[in-house]
Amino acid sequence: MATGLRPLHARYPYFERSREAVREADVSLVAAARDEAVAERALARVETVLTEGTVGEPERGTRTELLSYPIARVLVSLVDQPVLVHRYARAEAEAARERFVADLGRRELKSAPGNRLTLEGLLEEFDLDGAVRGTGRAETSEADTERGDGYEMGVSSYLSLAADRRGEEWRLVNRRLAKGWVALSREDVLALLGEAVRQRVASGLPLSVPAEIEAPLEEAVATIEERLAETNLIRDIDTVVPELFPPCMKYLLDQVQKGEHLEHHSRFAITAFLSNIGMETDDIVELYMVNPGFGEEITRYQTDHIRGVSSPTEYSTPACATMQSYGDCVNMDDRCERISHPMGYYEDALEDADDADLTDWRARESEAEAKTEAEAGE
Amino acid sequence: MDERTRAYLRGRFRDYYRRSDVSLPPDAEAREWGYIPWTAGPGTTMARHNALLDLGDFADFLTRERPQHVYFSVGRYDDPGADSMAEKGWRGSDLVFDLDADHLPSVALGEDSYATMLRKCKDALGRLLSFLEDDFGFCDLETVFSGGRGYHVHVRDPGVRGLDRAGRREIVDYVRGTGLQFEALVSGEAVAGTAGRKSPARKRTFDTTGGWSARAHRHLLDFVDDLLVMEEGEALERLRSFEGIGEGRSEAILRGARENYAELEAGNVDIHPAVFGLARRLAGEVVEIDGAPIDEPVTTDTNRLIRLPESLHGGSGLAVRRIARDELDGFDPLVDAIPETFRGQEIAIDVTDPGLVELGGDSFIIEAGKQVVLEYLGVFLMARGRAEKERER
Ligand code: SF4
Repeated sequence: MATGLRPLHARYPYFERSREAVREADVSLVAAARDEAVAERALARVETVLTEGTVGEPERGTRTELLSYPIARVLVSLVDQPVLVHRYARAEAEAARERFVADLGRRELKSAPGNRLTLEGLLEEFDLDGAVRGTGRAETSEADTERGDGYEMGVSSYLSLAADRRGEEWRLVNRRLAKGWVALSREDVLALLGEAVRQRVASGLPLSVPAEIEAPLEEAVATIEERLAETNLIRDIDTVVPELFPPCMKYLLDQVQKGEHLEHHSRFAITAFLSNIGMETDDIVELYMVNPGFGEEITRYQTDHIRGVSSPTEYSTPACATMQSYGDCVNMDDRCERISHPMGYYEDALEDADDADLTDWRARESEAEAKTEAEAGE
Repeated sequence: MDERTRAYLRGRFRDYYRRSDVSLPPDAEAREWGYIPWTAGPGTTMARHNALLDLGDFADFLTRERPQHVYFSVGRYDDPGADSMAEKGWRGSDLVFDLDADHLPSVALGEDSYATMLRKCKDALGRLLSFLEDDFGFCDLETVFSGGRGYHVHVRDPGVRGLDRAGRREIVDYVRGTGLQFEALVSGEAVAGTAGRKSPARKRTFDTTGGWSARAHRHLLDFVDDLLVMEEGEALERLRSFEGIGEGRSEAILRGARENYAELEAGNVDIHPAVFGLARRLAGEVVEIDGAPIDEPVTTDTNRLIRLPESLHGGSGLAVRRIARDELDGFDPLVDAIPETFRGQEIAIDVTDPGLVELGGDSFIIEAGKQVVLEYLGVFLMARGRAEKERER
């Protein structure tokens, strides 16, 4: 029995029942891609991500709004840039979180009871119904909210949703944890549900898109690519731009190049960082080699080890907290306030950088070459 | 290590494996296996990327190959024998912890004896288990003496298997207390009404039921309990030894502790601003006291190979011993990890690196040169590279 397309489906197109509704409405993806209104709204969904960081204003028509979501995913897939996938999923998640807050506060979301959004329903949607529970003190007083109380989430679910979030308050060490349950406020739960949306939106992207769906969307894809080029977002984490390194790594690299003796943890930190941003052993050795007294053999050995070439493990860069505990965190700047990991710092810095004159360190040998390589988006 | 020594150890390792029933970890056929054979020269290489199938019957394999070291992966895969991680098809990983004496801040390397290091390591193990059992509520734990310088804990609760590196790093930071912030330990509650000028506007409390907050609270109470049994003058002096706590504040703290002990015991730290300040200072120490300094890369690596419980450690001749939870208190690695096979005989060795050895519940002062010793002692010294096998007379 067809349930029909409801406003709730359009508001939360990634819900299982919304996908179900689309299947039952029997609209093919090809037909949706050819529908001008749908394609236009799909384009807006993606384009506003680049211009404003949001998914834009929803379309009034339930059908158009709902169908624009799968088509937007197709568009993101056709452009096929990790940064776009990342940004798009984040924007959908943020919109979802805002809607959760608004809709859960509301007694009724338009008429029919099946249309109401409840916290229970949301948790079920993301298979979290067994993983979140009220502490019995839910929403009783402001004090509870302030204590971060009211709800608890099973620690494994918490980690799979919160581990990628920035901000000290999400770090497990700063949460109350007892018998496997993490204390959360209502806002925390909604934020983590937003994260669940992000993961679901991003999962499976990029899709492989059949030609007959691609054809009617060519123009939209071109528009997004243009926008993307304007925003200079395509410089992935594999670009080596020492000017944008976090202060700690700048300092350590400087020490290495000066030929200062570094303690093991410091040497480990800088080498792990450089290899995590995609540098090969040869590049690292070369970058270190500025100083004459430098032991190439030992560096090569250590670097291979850290990179996982000669050992079973590829080591990851220590988090800021670890850097701090070893005294390797120096010259913190404003950006440091917003991140918890040197990799996060660098990723952020690359995203924000107003590029043009930034070139990959490896491409600097010859000026001319450097230019073309940077333009090719290496 | 010379040829005769190596041959002797290989032979005795085989005898051990013949007599022991080394049980396999759960899902053994989905794991990668690795081992290091006894070879001459410094270039010891690990044979890895083996599936159980490649090794043939496992008990047979152990007696045939009698490896110096045996490892299995914490990860489970669709095709554990594939040569690269990408081809293996990861299904999930146990969560493992490694406490190694070399990484413990409390261990004075070069000063502490092997037995002392292991004792300190066992203390840290107790703290680690408290986090894993009380805070994380894990149920499926296997605690193992590593056969070398520490302990391993394998957690196999279904919930941990899918955790990625980032999630595992959060767990590492939690048990080490890395990045712990005082503000997160206390929760503030607005106090209703405006009671007198002196009464604090907020009532900030430690959670006494569990987590880091309860640990910080316990630490504060211990400190206060100590104060309360001291002479007045001594207690004040102790307090003044903190930077920023002068005469007035130390008196206020002592008075607060005496008059409002019940409040303090219940977790309230806002009984006086000076007490709050003290709590903040002490909280800084709790990480050192209660944290478990595990080796981070071991835990965050989902493809790690780790020693097989009940196998032999080729660098000590001790068994990688599984420890039942209720036997942990009485466990003494230097007695309980000595393989039965190596007890009861004496052998001739030539000691090159003499000194004190604590083993088998006894201490031995070992002289350099040829001598006859208890076999397990001889095996230990040879495996550690401190002696060579001597011809038996
Ligand atoms: S806060 Fe993090 S990124 Fe910034 S300097 Fe310290 S360790 Fe580096």
